[in-house]
Amino acid sequence: MAAAGFSSALKISDLNDFITPSQECIKPVTVEKQKKGLGSIRIGDDTDDLTLETPKIQRVQITLNDCLACSGCITSAESVLITQQSTDELLRILSESADRHIVVSIAPQARASFAAKYNVSYRSAGYRLRSFLKKLGVKEVLDTSFARNFTLIETKREFLKRYKEDRSRLPMLSSACPGFVCYIEKTHGEAILPFLSHVRSPQQVMGSFVKTFLGSKLSIAPDKLYHVTVMPCFDKKLEASRDDFFNEVTQSKDVDCVITPVELEELMLKQNVVFTDLEDTEESPSGQFALEHCYQHKGSGSGGFGEYVFTSAVRELFGEEVPFCDFKTLRNKDFTEVMFTRGDQVLLRVAICNGFRNIQNIVQRIKRGTCNYDFIEVMACPSGCLNGGAQLRPNEESPKELLDRVVELFKESQQSGGRSPDSDSAVDELYRDWIADRAERLLHTKYKAVAKSTSGFTVKW
Amino acid sequence: MVLNLGFGSFQLENAAPQVFATVKDRPVTAAELDDAIEDPIDAREVFDLIRDINDPEHPLTLEQLKVVAEELVTVDPATRVIKVMFTPTIPHCSMATLIGLCIRVKLMRSLPREFKIDLMITPGKHDQERAINKQLQDKERVAAALENPNLLSVVNKCIAEPEY
Amino acid sequence: MRVEQVASLEGHSDPVWCCAWSSDGNTLATCGTDKSIRLWTEQDHEWVCGTILSDGHSRTIRRVSWSPCGNMLASCSFDGTVCVWTKKDGEFECSVTLEGHENEVKSAEFSPSGRYLATCSRDKTVWIWEQGGTDDFECVSVQSCHTQDVKCVRWHPNEDILASASYDNSINFYKDEGDDWACDFTATGHDSTVWSIAFDREGDKLVSGSDDQTLRMWKRYHAGNQAGISPSWKCISTIQGYHTRPVYDVSWCHLTGLIASGCGDNKLRIFAPDPEQQVDCHTADAPNFIQAASLDAHRQDVNCVKWNPTRAGILASAGDDEVVKLWKVFDYEIPI
Repeated sequence: MAAAGFSSALKISDLNDFITPSQECIKPVTVEKQKKGLGSIRIGDDTDDLTLETPKIQRVQITLNDCLACSGCITSAESVLITQQSTDELLRILSESADRHIVVSIAPQARASFAAKYNVSYRSAGYRLRSFLKKLGVKEVLDTSFARNFTLIETKREFLKRYKEDRSRLPMLSSACPGFVCYIEKTHGEAILPFLSHVRSPQQVMGSFVKTFLGSKLSIAPDKLYHVTVMPCFDKKLEASRDDFFNEVTQSKDVDCVITPVELEELMLKQNVVFTDLEDTEESPSGQFALEHCYQHKGSGSGGFGEYVFTSAVRELFGEEVPFCDFKTLRNKDFTEVMFTRGDQVLLRVAICNGFRNIQNIVQRIKRGTCNYDFIEVMACPSGCLNGGAQLRPNEESPKELLDRVVELFKESQQSGGRSPDSDSAVDELYRDWIADRAERLLHTKYKAVAKSTSGFTVKW
Repeated sequence: MVLNLGFGSFQLENAAPQVFATVKDRPVTAAELDDAIEDPIDAREVFDLIRDINDPEHPLTLEQLKVVAEELVTVDPATRVIKVMFTPTIPHCSMATLIGLCIRVKLMRSLPREFKIDLMITPGKHDQERAINKQLQDKERVAAALENPNLLSVVNKCIAEPEY
Repeated sequence: MRVEQVASLEGHSDPVWCCAWSSDGNTLATCGTDKSIRLWTEQDHEWVCGTILSDGHSRTIRRVSWSPCGNMLASCSFDGTVCVWTKKDGEFECSVTLEGHENEVKSAEFSPSGRYLATCSRDKTVWIWEQGGTDDFECVSVQSCHTQDVKCVRWHPNEDILASASYDNSINFYKDEGDDWACDFTATGHDSTVWSIAFDREGDKLVSGSDDQTLRMWKRYHAGNQAGISPSWKCISTIQGYHTRPVYDVSWCHLTGLIASGCGDNKLRIFAPDPEQQVDCHTADAPNFIQAASLDAHRQDVNCVKWNPTRAGILASAGDDEVVKLWKVFDYEIPI
C-alpha cells in the first residue's frame, strides 16, 4: 500500500476514504470561485442526441507545496509525492543532465538499515552505497551526520535563550521530525506551534550547506548542482518541499530530491545489482562530511537531541558535568525521561517521546498546562528514526528482530559513545567560514498552522 | 517542480451537461382532493419532492439533468420502504455523494419519519457505485455529516425551494 | 417465551442512540441526538429520569458507558471528543474531556477491570486510554488496524482483550503485548458493515450484528486446542433470514444466555439456543440459535438493546422514535 513509508502521525491526520487524487484534491474546487462564465448549454428534450462543443480544457497544476498547505487530503498526496521525488526522478536527472553535479547525502539511519539487513558493517554499508550511486553517475556521496552539529548547537542556544527569557514557551519541542511538525501544523497549530524549536533539521542544514557552501567551494553554479538525500522515511520528502527551504538566491531547493532505503533497494533490484557484491572501497576522506569518518553523535538513534540539550543545559545553567545520561523508561519504551536534581529538587527535566500515542499525551498535557518537561525530543515513529517508515523491510526475520539489529549496529557505530559538537574545531571552523552571521537565515525556519477548509463541497464524511 | 494532474475543465467537471425537459404536472384526482381519504405516498409524490433539488454545480434541477426520474422511484406501501435510484451525469462525478445526500435530506424532511429510504446510484452509472451507495445508506454517517455546518449549508442551498 | 413491555421512557427530544445499564443494574443511562444524557432509575415501580447531563458535547452523543464501580460515565460524541463524567457529592460532572480523535467518536467503553477506556472513531482508529491521576486519562495505544470507520468497541468480560467492529466489514481483536497493544486477529465474513458485537459470559464466544442483516457467532480457539487451530476466532454460526434491515445492535445476556438484536426494521428480536439441538450450547462448535421472539418494539429503527446485568430477563431498547423502552422476558427456562 502506498501509505507505507510515512509515519503514522501523517496517515492518521487525514480524513478521507480511499479515493484517487483527482477526486480528492480540493485545489481546483477552491480556485473555481474566482472564474466566471460557464460552458454553453442548450436545452433539448431527451430524444435529442446533443453533443455540445466542450469548452477549452485548462490543466490545473498542483505543486507539492499546495499539498503541504492544504488539509484536503494527505495520503492521496503520497502518489503525487512518489512520482515527484523518487528514484525514477533521480535516474531522469542523471540521464538528462550529464553536466549536472549530483550530490547525494546519506543519513546515518539509512546507512544502518542497509548494514543490518545485509549483514555488513556500518562502515562498509556506506561505501557500498557510494559505489552504487557513483556507478549511476552521482558525483559526490556524503554523510549528513556532520550537519547535525549545527542543528544540535542551534537547538541548545535556542533552548538556553528560551529557558532564561521565556519559560512560558517550555517545553521546547524538537522539530527535526517532519511527521511531527506537519501533524502539529495541521491539527494543533495555534496551541502547540509556539513550543516548537525553529532550528532546521540535519537534512535541511545539509541542504543549506551543499547549496550555499559546497557549490562555491567546488566552483559549481547553483543551477548545475542537484542535491539528493537518502532518508529513513517519506516524511522527509514533504520537509524538502517546504517553501521555506526554497532558496531564493540560488532559485533552487536546498534538497532537490529525497529517496529512501526501500526505494534504493528496489532500484538495485531493477538493475540486478546485488548489494553484497558492491565494492566497499575506502577513500581518503575529503572533508568532514566524508563517509569514512563514520561520524555519529551521542545519544538516541534519532540524533541525540535530548541528550545534547540536557547535558549542555546542566553544564551552562547549573555548572555540572553529566558523564552519562540515564534516560528512564516511563509508561512505555518510547517515552523516556532524564532529570537533573540537587538534593530533592528537580532542576531540569528532558524527555524523549516517540510515536503517535506518546505525542498525543504530551500535546494534551501542554494544552492543559500540566507538562513539566523543559525539552522534549519528539519523533513520530515508535523507536525513532532507526525505525523510519521507509527503512528496509526484513526478508525472513521479524521486523522487530531486524530493528533490534539496526539499533545494535547503530550503537556500535557510535564507538566510545559518539561525538559531541562541543570543542570540535572543525565545527567552529565551518561556523566561521560558512555560517558567519547568517545563522538565522541558514539554520532556522518558520512554521504556519494549516487552516482547515471551510468549503462544504470538500467535507469528508 | 509541478505535476499536471489534468482535471479536465478548470472549474466544472462536466461543463456541458445534457439538459432534459421536465415532465408535465399530473392531473389531480377527486380522491386526492378529498381530505378525508389518506393519500398513500406513491412514486410520483416522492419524485415531486426531489425533482426540483438543485444540482450543486449547475443552475439546473436534478430532473432537468435527468439525475432523478419517476421511473427510478419505487414505493412499497406495505413495508413503507421507498427506493430511489439516481443517475449521476457522468460516471466519475465527484458530486455524486453530495447529490445523494441532498436527495436523502429532502425526503427525510418531507416524508413521515416511519418511511425507510433506500438510496442508490442507478446500477452501472458510476465508477465508485458500491462505495457511494454504502456511504449514503449508512445512517450514522449521514447523521454525523449533517451536523457539519459547512456541509449542511451546501445541502440546504441545493434543497431550497425556488421563489416564484 | 413471552416478552412484555414494562415501561416507555420519554423525554429525549431526538433519536436515542444508546442505552447502558450501570453494573448494579439499577440505573439506565441514555443519550442521543439532543446532546443530553439521561439517567433513569426505578422509583415506586415507575422509571423516572432523575438526572439530565447537558453541556458535555456540542453534537450528537453516540454512546455512553459506565465504569464498573458506577462512579464514572464515559460519553462519546460526533463532536470528536469523549467526556468522562465523575460522581462528586452525588452529582455527575464532566471531569475531563478526551481529545485526539480526528472526527466522530462512535464508541467508548470502560473495561470490566476498570483499568482501561477504549474509544473508536470514523478516523479508522481504536484508542486505548488508562487513568493516570484523578481526572486524567492517558493514551496508552493507538491502533490503526481497520481500513474504514470503526463503529463499536467491546471488552472481553474477563480478560483485558478488546474487540472492534468496523465499516470495513471485519472485527479486530487486540491484546496487550507489553510495550504496546497489538491486533492479533481479524475476523472476516460479514458482507457489510459490522455495527455491533457482544461477548458471552465466558468470553469464548462473540456475536456480531451487521448491515448485511445477519448475526454471526464466533468462537475463540485458543493456542494448542484439540481442533489444532491457532489462537483465532472462527465463525461457527450465521443467523440469517430474520432481519429485514441492518442490525444496529446486539446484546448477549450473561445471566440467561439469550441474545437480543435491534434492527432497522423497528423490531427487537430475541434468539435462544435451539431446545431441540442435543448439544451443550456453551461448548458446541456449531450451536443452533433460533428466533424466540420478535416484537414491533419501536415506531422507527431500534438503535440499541441492552440486557440488564443483574435482573434476568430485563431488557432496554432505544430508538430513532425518541423513546426508550424496558421489556421483560417471561416463561424462559435457561438450559443447564
